[in-house]
Amino acid sequence: MLWALFLAHVAAVPAAAAAGRTSMRAGLFTAAAAPAAAAAWAAAELAGGGRTNTAELVWVGGLDVAIRLRADSLALMMTLLVAGVGALVMVYAAGYFGRNAAGATRFPATMLAFSTSMLGLVWADSVWTLFIFWEMTSVTSFLLVGHKHADASVRMAARRALVITAGGGLVLLAGLIVLAESAGSSALTAMEPVSGPAAATAGVLILIGAATKSAQVPFHVWLPGAMAAPTPVSAYLHSAAMVKAGILLIAVVGPALRGVAAWKWLGIAFGVASVVWGAVGALRHRDAKLILAWGTVSQLGLMVTLLSVGTAKAVLAALALLFSHALFKAALFLVVGEVDVRTGTRDIGDLGGLHRSMPTAFAVALLAGGSMVGLPPLLGFVAKETAIEAVLALAGAERAVVAAGVIGGSVLTVAYTVRLLHGVFGPGPPTPVGANRPLMAAPAAILGAAGVVGYAALSGVNRIVVPAAAELSEKADAYSLIQWPGLKTAFVVSVLIVGVGGVAGALWASRGVGRLPAPVGASAADGIVDKTLGFSPRLTALVQHGSLPVYLAVMGTVAVLAAAALASDFAGGHLIWWDHPLQAMLAAAVVIAALAAAFVGSRLGAALALGSVGFGVTGLFLVHGAPDLALTQLLVETVVVVGFVLGLGHLARRFPPVTGSWRSVRIMVAAAGGLAVTAALAAAGTNPTGKPPTLDLVAEAVAEGGGKNVVNVILTDLRALDTLGEVVVLATVAIGILALARVRTRPQAQTQES
Amino acid sequence: MNPNQTPAIQLGIRVASPLAIVVGVYLLFAGHNFPGGGFAAGLVFGAVAILRTIAGLQRPKGTTALIACGVLMVTVVSFLPILWGDPLLDQRVVTFDLPLLGTIKTGTALVFDIGVSIIVVGLVSAIINGLSASQPTQGAGQPTQGAGQPTQGAPQ
Repeated sequence: MLWALFLAHVAAVPAAAAAGRTSMRAGLFTAAAAPAAAAAWAAAELAGGGRTNTAELVWVGGLDVAIRLRADSLALMMTLLVAGVGALVMVYAAGYFGRNAAGATRFPATMLAFSTSMLGLVWADSVWTLFIFWEMTSVTSFLLVGHKHADASVRMAARRALVITAGGGLVLLAGLIVLAESAGSSALTAMEPVSGPAAATAGVLILIGAATKSAQVPFHVWLPGAMAAPTPVSAYLHSAAMVKAGILLIAVVGPALRGVAAWKWLGIAFGVASVVWGAVGALRHRDAKLILAWGTVSQLGLMVTLLSVGTAKAVLAALALLFSHALFKAALFLVVGEVDVRTGTRDIGDLGGLHRSMPTAFAVALLAGGSMVGLPPLLGFVAKETAIEAVLALAGAERAVVAAGVIGGSVLTVAYTVRLLHGVFGPGPPTPVGANRPLMAAPAAILGAAGVVGYAALSGVNRIVVPAAAELSEKADAYSLIQWPGLKTAFVVSVLIVGVGGVAGALWASRGVGRLPAPVGASAADGIVDKTLGFSPRLTALVQHGSLPVYLAVMGTVAVLAAAALASDFAGGHLIWWDHPLQAMLAAAVVIAALAAAFVGSRLGAALALGSVGFGVTGLFLVHGAPDLALTQLLVETVVVVGFVLGLGHLARRFPPVTGSWRSVRIMVAAAGGLAVTAALAAAGTNPTGKPPTLDLVAEAVAEGGGKNVVNVILTDLRALDTLGEVVVLATVAIGILALARVRTRPQAQTQES
Repeated sequence: MNPNQTPAIQLGIRVASPLAIVVGVYLLFAGHNFPGGGFAAGLVFGAVAILRTIAGLQRPKGTTALIACGVLMVTVVSFLPILWGDPLLDQRVVTFDLPLLGTIKTGTALVFDIGVSIIVVGLVSAIINGLSASQPTQGAGQPTQGAGQPTQGAPQ
């Protein structure tokens, strides 16, 4: 079933692109079908008790190269969120874009491709599968964020998101390799707990990777910029999907790294910093979408903190938060998008009075905002209550740090939520609104109402979240989410949070909207990219400067180093002067011709001398009893000499003078090359490794190849794969020459025409 | 006048070319049992092409088609055995009788060898065309494609 759903997604990507040719709406509805099916399947599985489905495709068995998928309770919960919210957002996007928006062949297909990668990521059961889908989400989200690519600032934002998340992906890969090596298995579930320095290294690397994806301080700088994307993209990527990837990763590798102190404390540091700084950011901005984006940083920090704490109750609270956050944050994004489309602005300083003109949106925003703040009777209340209980159950420094972060962040969350709702819907001259858009309102209403329904039917939510938490921490089975905790410490803390935060938010909102905060960090990230882009042409100019003599000198030096390594094997005992006196004569001729090639001043003379070297070597092959080699060498030399005659016509008759230190370098490289090759050949010749394989080859050639010319049978039969590779190389070279020649002729052809 | 394109040289090369082609074909077929083979044959054909270019007789044409044809032959012969379950590059030996020539023994290795020689010819003619393309055009006179006419752009 996993394969069927996954392949349905993959097949629907081109289908969505094709349907997009008709209209954006058709493309999006086509794209929404596959996620809707996946969500329905996940819901049915969860209702049926949540069996674990697995599927695998082994490619290279011995190397553990395989795609392994596994849908356990946690993955089913994530599937429900990723696919369900995905399908709703695609329907919403149909309303957002209007019937004939541009990019209709691109957007639905990319959206579905992202959804597919996300599904693969959720189902991945080996670190390699996870990594592949992880990177796929980075790439597809880059395309989605950069949807309006005509705008330079959008391109910048998309590039920043890609650089940070893909860079984090590489760090993650390193961490996953270390983890898989020290755990002795690449399977994600049931990974043995690891310890020691390797585990700490893996933990830190994986956390950094997860923090880039889940926008944790200081890697959060890409997320506000990514709000340049169309609102459906923001609603999907930054509520239910992309940013949850890091949370999911921390959750699934958490059990293996639970005992590692570095993992726990770095995670808490990331989390607490993000809870507070994200909420502060949300208070400073006036673009409603940016407020939500910064709020996401804060909420994700809360989940990272709880997962890093790692007690059974904290894990349960983190998953409950994850579940409710996906619903309320998506709903809020969708409402803001609708406000944006219908009023033409998202600035809370310009908006106001929308509670009368957009009552449905207001109701949804109240429900979702209430869930974000943690008010009953909403799902967010249950999640936050569990989180505070989990934090209060800790002890010592851990309790102080985490409680300060969680409670402080929650107060600020209340404040920015109040400010946001007040700014958009609150009193003031009502902003004029455009026509109703039912396709936008309906998905938002469904997601907003889900918070109430979830609270009312909390036993159903428990059946989803508690088994999921139990996958990560066995003791989580003992807990459950409760509707009404009664007058306990946690509840008192909750009341205080809402009270203080509400007052602070109301005061802050009535103070009006201050000046826009300077974006901290984003410029640094962009600076790194710009510096790199500026540096790479200089590096390329240094390495690929286009001077043939310098290339040859570099290659010669490398060859010398390679040959010199062999020279130490030289064993003087086996060295003889010659097998046959003719060899000495031919060798002398070769040496003289080589010297002539080096010293002669005319180009043609040098070419002929080089040819003489080749013909001398041909003679040596003949004397040695290799007619085939000799014939080939002879023909190659002939073609080369004649080719020289053809090519030299374009050059001056004599070599240009070479002087100074460059001349010394050339002489040194040439001399070192000669010496190193001589030494290496002498070493090879004086180290016989046993009886030559000639006799076996002859027998095999006649028996299997049916030919008496051993060399030819080797080339065309026994080792024909080598020959196949070589001729393909030859053909590639020929095509390269043709292309180069074409580059040279094109400007000439133009000047001729003019 | 270009010293490479005197009538004596042109005539010599024109007379020698068919002989060289015969030698090349011999090398191609002899390769299985005597020195020779596709690579050597390709080099002989290539040398002929270069000589004819220098003498201003003819420049090789259809380089791309030659390369494509050679690669196609080699790959098809290599991968065809997989279709009937034999390993990659498995050879078939065929023996049959012909009038006058007697018993002929050949095999798919020959097709492979012919493909190799075609690729080599393609490479050489790509080099020729590359070198000719880069020569400075001197105003009057286009490089001629036909046989027997002196080429403007040949070496001085």
